[in-house]
Amino acid sequence: MLGFLLVVLLIPYLIAAYGLLFVKLRWGLRLFGAFIVATIGLLTAMFLVEAYPIIARDGVAVFFQTRWDPVRESYGVLQALTGTVLTSAVAMALAMPMAIGVAVTINEILPARLRGIFGSLVDLTATMPTVIFGLWGLFVLGPFLKDAVNSVSRYLVGDDVMTSPYTLFTAGVLLAIMITPYAAAVIREGYALVPKPVEEAIYAVGATRFEAAFIKLRYVRNYILGGFFLALGRAMGETVAVAMVVGGNFSRFTTNILESGITISSLIALQFPNAASYQYMVPALFAGALLLTLFGLAINAVAIYIIQRGQI
Amino acid sequence: MTAERKAEDITAVRMVINWLGLGLFALLGVAAVVPLFLIIGDVYVKGIDAINRLGGLWHFLTELPPTPLDERGGIGPMLVGTLYMTALGALLGIAVGLPLGVYIGEMRKEKFANVARAGVNVLVEFPTIVVGLFVYAVMSLAKEDLNRYLLGPISNTISPLGEWIPWFIGPLDGFNAYAGAAALTLIMIPYVALITASAYASIEQPLREAAYATAGREFNALFIVLRKAVSRAVLTAALLGTAKIAGETAPLLFTALGNLYYASFTGPTAAVSLWIWYAAQTSYEVQIDSAYGAAAVLLTIILTIFIIARIRG
Repeated sequence: MLGFLLVVLLIPYLIAAYGLLFVKLRWGLRLFGAFIVATIGLLTAMFLVEAYPIIARDGVAVFFQTRWDPVRESYGVLQALTGTVLTSAVAMALAMPMAIGVAVTINEILPARLRGIFGSLVDLTATMPTVIFGLWGLFVLGPFLKDAVNSVSRYLVGDDVMTSPYTLFTAGVLLAIMITPYAAAVIREGYALVPKPVEEAIYAVGATRFEAAFIKLRYVRNYILGGFFLALGRAMGETVAVAMVVGGNFSRFTTNILESGITISSLIALQFPNAASYQYMVPALFAGALLLTLFGLAINAVAIYIIQRGQI
Repeated sequence: MTAERKAEDITAVRMVINWLGLGLFALLGVAAVVPLFLIIGDVYVKGIDAINRLGGLWHFLTELPPTPLDERGGIGPMLVGTLYMTALGALLGIAVGLPLGVYIGEMRKEKFANVARAGVNVLVEFPTIVVGLFVYAVMSLAKEDLNRYLLGPISNTISPLGEWIPWFIGPLDGFNAYAGAAALTLIMIPYVALITASAYASIEQPLREAAYATAGREFNALFIVLRKAVSRAVLTAALLGTAKIAGETAPLLFTALGNLYYASFTGPTAAVSLWIWYAAQTSYEVQIDSAYGAAAVLLTIILTIFIIARIRG
C-alpha cells in the first residue's frame, strides 16, 4: 500500500510542482526542494525498515561480527567494514598527494594554453565509467601490481607476499586513481580563490614558485581537508570497480591488505543476487547499505562544514 | 666565507629546492592522468581487435551476445537498453534538476533553500549502489499495487493500438527498465542541480535586476531572460550528467538486472555496463572479448558526449 501511495502521489506531485512554477513560482520551486529532502529522508527510513529484522535479531552485533555464513544464517559485516576502511586508507594515502599535484600543476606549472586541456583530462577521469576502471584493474592493474610487489618482496624478504592479483591493495590503488579528480576539483576551486593581493604579496617578499605554491596550499588548507572528506566518501561507496578487483573473500576475516578481502558495497553487489534464498541475508545487506548511508551523511556533513567554515 | 657569498649559496639552495619541489608536484599531477591514457589505450587496442574477431562492427552492434560456445556475437540488446534508460534518466533528471538548481541558486536567502542544497550535496556524493538498492526496495513494495490499479488497466485499454505497445507499457516485473531509469534519474538530478545553481549564483546583480525589471513576472525573469546568461553552463551540466549516467553500473544491478535478449522494457533490461561487469568476470575467452568490445563502444559514446560538452561549454 505504501508503494501505491508513493507512486500515485509522486506523479501528481511533480505535475503540481510544474504547475505552481507558472502560477506561484516560489512555491513551485520550494516543492522541488522538498522533493529532494523527502527523497533522502525516505531512503534512510526505507533502509531502517528493510534492515529491521536482522537488527531486531542480533542488535548492533551485526556490525561487530566477522562470520558471514549464509548456511547458518549468521551475518556479520565487520570484515566488510574493515575492508572498506583499509581500501579507503590506501586510496586516500595515494590520492591526496596526486590531487594536490594536479592543483599545483594546473595553476602554477603549466602554461595558460595547456591548463584547460589538462583540466579536461582530469575531469574525464571522473566521468569514465567505473566498470571500465574495473575491467582495466581486472586484466592490467591487478597482474601488474602482483608482479611489481612480488619482485620487490622477493628482493627484501625472499618470498612472494602477494599471492593473488586481486587484493585489498589492488582495490585501494584503483580507487586512488578514480577519486583523485574529486579531491582535485575541490582543491582547484580553493586555489583559484586565493586573492590576487595575497599572491602578489607572496612574490613581493621574494618567494620562489615552489614556496609560493606551498604558502598558497596552506592558505587553502580548508579546501584540502574538505576535498579529502569528499573523496573519502567516494572511496567508501565505490562499488563495481572495487568488487571486480577486491577478490570477493567474504568468509575469512583479514587485516592484511595484500590478501583478498571485501568491502561493504562490493559485499552488497556480489551477494545480493542470491540473497533471496536465505531468510536474513537481505536484511543483513540492507543493514550494510544503512551503514554506508550513515557514513555518507556524516562525511558530507563534515566536508560541507569544513569548506563553509573556511570560505575565503 | 663572506656574507655575500653565503646569501648566494642560500639562493642556489632555494633554487634547487624550487625545481625539485615543482618537479615533484608536476610528477604527482601527471601520475593522476597517466592511468587515463593507459585505460583508453588498453580498451581500444583490445576492444577493436575483439570487435573484428566477433564479426565486425555492425554485427557487434546489433547481434545477441555470445554464449560460451559461440565464436561471434554482439551487444545489440545492451546498446538498446542503455540508450533507452539513459535517455529517460537524463530527461527526467533535467526536468527535476533544473528547477531545483534554480531554487538553490536563486533563493539562497531562504532557510529551506539551504536545507535543499545540503540535501543535493549529500545526494551527489551518495554511493550509487545505495541509490540502486533504494529504488529496488521501493519497486518491490510498489510493483503489485501499481500493476493492479494503474498499469494493468492502462495496458489492457491501449494494447489494441499496436504490436509495439507491450514493449514499452505493461505490468512490470520486479526488475525493469523504468526502475533502472529512476535510479539513473536520482543520480543525474544533483549533477544538473549543482551546476545550474552555481551558474545562477554567478549572474551579476545588475543583470538580475534588469531581468526582473523587463520580464514582468518572476518566472519570465528566471527562465526566459536569465536563461541566455546560463544556458551554456546548463547545457554542459546536462551533457556531462548524461555521460556520467550512461556508464553507471551499480545502480542498475538490482533495478534493470540485465538480460541477454531483446526484450520488453517492462521486464529485466540489458545494459552495456552490466554486460561488461558480467562478461569480464566469466572465464570464457569469447565473453571477455565481448566485454572489451562493449567497453570500447561505451567509451566511444562517453568520449563523444564529453568532447561535445567541452567544445560547447
